Amino acid sequence: MLLSDPDNLPDEATLARRVAQASPGTDREAEAELCRRLAPRVRLYGLRHLRDAAAAADLMQQVMLMTIERLRAGALREPERLASFVFGMCRMVVLELRRGNMRRERLLETYGEVLEPVETPPPNPDRGRLAHCLERLPERERTILLLTFYDNMPAEALARELNLTPANVRVIRHRGMERLRECVTGATL
Amino acid sequence: MNTTSCQSPLEWDSLLAYWLGELDPDSEARIEEHYLGCARCSRRLEKLAALAQGVQVLAQVSGVTAVIDEPFVHRLTESGLRVREYRVPLNGSVNCTVTPEDDFVVARLEAPLDGVTRLDMVDVYSGGTSEIRHEDIPFVAESGSVVFSTRIAALRALPVTTVRVRLLAVDNNGERTIGEYTFNHTPGAI
Repeated sequence: MLLSDPDNLPDEATLARRVAQASPGTDREAEAELCRRLAPRVRLYGLRHLRDAAAAADLMQQVMLMTIERLRAGALREPERLASFVFGMCRMVVLELRRGNMRRERLLETYGEVLEPVETPPPNPDRGRLAHCLERLPERERTILLLTFYDNMPAEALARELNLTPANVRVIRHRGMERLRECVTGATL
Repeated sequence: MNTTSCQSPLEWDSLLAYWLGELDPDSEARIEEHYLGCARCSRRLEKLAALAQGVQVLAQVSGVTAVIDEPFVHRLTESGLRVREYRVPLNGSVNCTVTPEDDFVVARLEAPLDGVTRLDMVDVYSGGTSEIRHEDIPFVAESGSVVFSTRIAALRALPVTTVRVRLLAVDNNGERTIGEYTFNHTPGAI
C-alpha cells in the first residue's frame, strides 16, 4: 500500500517507472499517487500562465491525462526526468488551450477515474485575518498590492499610473507581500 | 526527487518574482521545472498563490480601506461593479451614504499637491475624540486629488456620523494642512 508509510513514500520517478512497466492501466495505485502529487503543481502552472481558476483546472486535467497516457505507452524513457516531461506538456497544453484545441473528452473517457483523487482544494487563507493584515500594512504597500492583484497588473503599468519607477513598484510590493505573509502565517512558509 | 526534501529550495523572493511575472523567460522556466518536480517548493508556491488570490478577492469586494487611483476606479466600473463616487472640493463637505446596491464607495478629495513630497491623511471622527493618521499615502500630484475607497462593510455599519479628513503635507520643516473635508454620513439611501 503506497500510503501506509508516509516517511518512506516512493519518489515520483519510481512511481513513473511502475506505471511504465506495468501492463497499461493495471497499476492504478501508482497512477493515482502520481496524479495526487503532480496535479496541484500543474494547477499552479496554469494559474500563473492563464490567470483563471477554471482554465487552470482544465490544464491540470489535460496534462495529467496526457502524462498517464504517455507513461502507460512507455513514452518516458528516463523517469528521473519526469518533471521536465510534465513541464514540456504544461507548455504545450497552455498553447493548445490558447488555440482552443482540446481533446479532453476522449481522454477523460479513458482515464477519468485516475483523476478522482486529485480534487483537493487549494489552501485558502482566512479572509478576515488577511483583511486585518492588509489594513496594517503601510499605505503605499497596501495600495500597490491591491492594484497589483485586482487584475494582475504588471509593475510597468502600475508605475506609469502612480508616477513611480517599475523598480520602485517591485520593491514596494515585495516588501508588502513579505509583511503580509509574516502577519497571516506568523511563521515562514 | 524525494517527496518532502529539497536540496536547493527556491527563495520566497524568487517565487514571488515568478508569480508576479518579473523574471526573464529562462529564469521562469528554471523555476517551473523545479517546482513541478518538488513537493516542498510547490507547496510554498501554493501558499503564496493563495495569499495573492486572497488579496485579489479583497480588492474585488471592497474588503479593505485604501488609497487608490483614478485608473483603478475606471477598472472597477468597466468590470460592471457599482461604484458610488463623491467628489469633495478643497475644504468642502458632502452628504454621503451607502446603499445595498453599492459595491464600492469612493471619495475624491480635491487638493493642490504641487511640490508636496509626503502626504499624510488624518481621519477625525465625530466630536474629535478619536483620530487615525495614515502616513505617507500614495498620490499623483498632477491629478490634483486624493482618491480612496472605504471598506464597504465598515460603511454599512456606520450610524449617522460626521467624519473629517485632513490632508497634511509633511517635509523637513514640519507639516502644513493642505485641506479639510467633511463627510456627513447617513445610513441607507438619502
